[in-house]
Amino acid sequence: MSGERAMTSYLDRREKPKLARPSDADMRLKNNRLGMTIFQASWVMVFLALIVVNWQLRFSYKAWPPAGVAPFDPLLPSAATAALLLSSLLARRGLASLRSGRSSAFLMHWRGAMVLGIAFMSIIVYEFASVSEAAMATQYGLTMRLMTGFHFAHALAILAVMTHVYRKGGRGMYRGDEHDSWAVEGTAKLWYFVTLAWLLFYIVLYWIR
Amino acid sequence: MATIAVPLGAQAEQQEAEAIRRPALSEYLRWSVDHKIIGVQYGVSSFLFFLIGGAMAMGIRLELWTPELDLMVSGAAYNSLFTIHGTIMIFLFIIPMWAAFGNFVVPLQLGAKDMAFPWLNAFAFWLIPPAAIVVLLGYFVSPAEAGWTSYPPLSTLFSGDGQTLWALGAHLLGISSIMGSINFIVTILNMRPPEMTIWRMPLLCWAVLATSIIAVMATPFLAGALTLLLLDRVAGTTFFDAAGGGDVLLWQNIFWFYSHPAVYIMVLPGMGVLSEVLSIHSRKPVFGYRMVGLSSMGIAFVGFTVWAHHMFTSLQPELRIPFMITTMIIAVPTGIKMFSWLGTIWGGKIRFTSAMLFALGFLSLFVIGGITGVMLAALPFDIHVHDTYFVVSHFHFVLFGGSVFAIYAALYHWFPKVTGRMMNERLGVIHFFFTYFGFLFTFFPMHIVGMLGMPRRVAVYAEGFQAWNQLISLSAFVLGFSTFIVVYNVIKSYYHGPIAGANPWRALTLEWQTTSPPPPTNFVDDPIPFEEPYGYGTEASAAYLDAVDEAFSRGAPNPASGH
Repeated sequence: MSGERAMTSYLDRREKPKLARPSDADMRLKNNRLGMTIFQASWVMVFLALIVVNWQLRFSYKAWPPAGVAPFDPLLPSAATAALLLSSLLARRGLASLRSGRSSAFLMHWRGAMVLGIAFMSIIVYEFASVSEAAMATQYGLTMRLMTGFHFAHALAILAVMTHVYRKGGRGMYRGDEHDSWAVEGTAKLWYFVTLAWLLFYIVLYWIR
Repeated sequence: MATIAVPLGAQAEQQEAEAIRRPALSEYLRWSVDHKIIGVQYGVSSFLFFLIGGAMAMGIRLELWTPELDLMVSGAAYNSLFTIHGTIMIFLFIIPMWAAFGNFVVPLQLGAKDMAFPWLNAFAFWLIPPAAIVVLLGYFVSPAEAGWTSYPPLSTLFSGDGQTLWALGAHLLGISSIMGSINFIVTILNMRPPEMTIWRMPLLCWAVLATSIIAVMATPFLAGALTLLLLDRVAGTTFFDAAGGGDVLLWQNIFWFYSHPAVYIMVLPGMGVLSEVLSIHSRKPVFGYRMVGLSSMGIAFVGFTVWAHHMFTSLQPELRIPFMITTMIIAVPTGIKMFSWLGTIWGGKIRFTSAMLFALGFLSLFVIGGITGVMLAALPFDIHVHDTYFVVSHFHFVLFGGSVFAIYAALYHWFPKVTGRMMNERLGVIHFFFTYFGFLFTFFPMHIVGMLGMPRRVAVYAEGFQAWNQLISLSAFVLGFSTFIVVYNVIKSYYHGPIAGANPWRALTLEWQTTSPPPPTNFVDDPIPFEEPYGYGTEASAAYLDAVDEAFSRGAPNPASGH
């Protein structure tokens, strides 16, 4: 390209309509979604780190659970896991209802998700409290409390956000539009994250011996 | 001696001093969501930590002047001194310093108005001061003495309460780093102008993208490790205590899974800076642009597979060879960059500006640090020099000879954009020579004392090493002195430097297509990037640059004088 032509073409393009730029609102939504995905990918690594901890500490013992320690009964935790999965599903349906403009259905589903979430957390608290003395003398009990406690802190924080969203939803603050309902979508995605993190822990704690 | 030619923008003389609209200094002291303000906040605060950490290094070298204890009351006091030195330099200086340049430059290079999440950006910065206070308080209360790597049982059973504060502070800094990195990734992937495909993106953005991917994936492991350390220290758990079924190697595994990639967090942005500076100041396109961008990603990826080379002496023997191999593979993408830089300046029209001198300094020193890295990756050699001054020399060559030289290059290169004024080039050159030779004579002899067998992390050493140590200390004081030259230069140039104009280096990337300093919204109009970010030396690029100059002197609205 000759020099003169390059210059004119550059100055010309300043006047001409450019390639379309997304609107600020669209850009915000796109950024929020990508940011959430990266946050989930990043923060799940802490949970993986704790799984590595559990896995490496198993090598300190000849057997897992260590000799003289009764294995955890998976019955109640399995019920808790089912409740959490169902809760995530309800949160998802709640979001779908909101998107299709049915705000009372949204609130109903969201309420259900919260109640099941509380049920899950209650069982976990019970499990945390009922680890035997013998287990607590070994890494079997210690890592279990570490992992469930760490997960519980996250579940509690995100349940608080869900409550906040529920109250705002009750006042009719969200509409079906994607931009207006980002808070609901983001919170639901955080709750899926809690569910996924728990599934990983559940398998490691109760099923891999 | 090379001729120093400083190109000033064509319009520099036309601009009056008052045309520079800089934010008031008080803006920098309070909460702001403007990425340019936040960039300067990061930069100035981390430089202050550099001065503090540097003063501590001077203390370390003073102590090592004689083979006995003289400055320090005990070996433990010396341990806490190098612990806080390392912690400050890594967590409070180098990592946030790259957030400084990333914040200021990346949105401008992308032609964006701000980062994707401005509030989160400010929040990430404001976590640093409290974290720093917590860490520094710990040093004065009851110092941590387990080194910046904080290996248990030293850090659990022996170190003071400062170790607990250290872990809390590091936790906060890790969270800050993750939030900052999420912001960078989203900004770089989403907010480019539609004309700028990912293969037309400036290489600093590539480097920051790779760095941020490492930070978001690795830093959570640090959070995990620190959580365990805190629990062991305050809650009576025994994760790292063999007596309770714990395992000290657990810490080493999880800590290095973060901290080895963190080495690349500290140097990859510097490599991005180098590609910018070498290309712009030698007026040549980057040699092998795509491979340079991809090699950043390659380093990020392979960097996750090498952590256990820090544990060659404690690892299960059968795992050593695989980690030795992956470590050596890292040299491949690094070598690609090295040859790209050489190919870029080869036959170029080199201007020996201060920025260029520091970039060339990086080239020569980083190659030494890189090669000693390959030497250390070789298992038989590593076992021989493990925990000696050879290792100290190696990581200072990559972190000072690499990162700090790149930080200086970036400072001289972007200072005109940040402040609207040029830095003093004569002082810059003097600064470079003091730094370069001070550095070389401080750290190169450490290779030799290391191979002769001087262990690291000791205040008392065999008398035979004293002559070497005095040479090292003397050079270290020269190196320490050189810092005052750049501090003086920055302050003087901020008030009295020549007016820079929009594009003093005549560069093609977008940050030079707005006034210096840029207005709050960065660009008056949506900027259009030039086809090739480094397409120097063509008629088209010369015409483009003329057009940009034209736009700023007459044609387009000039945001700095407009309002």
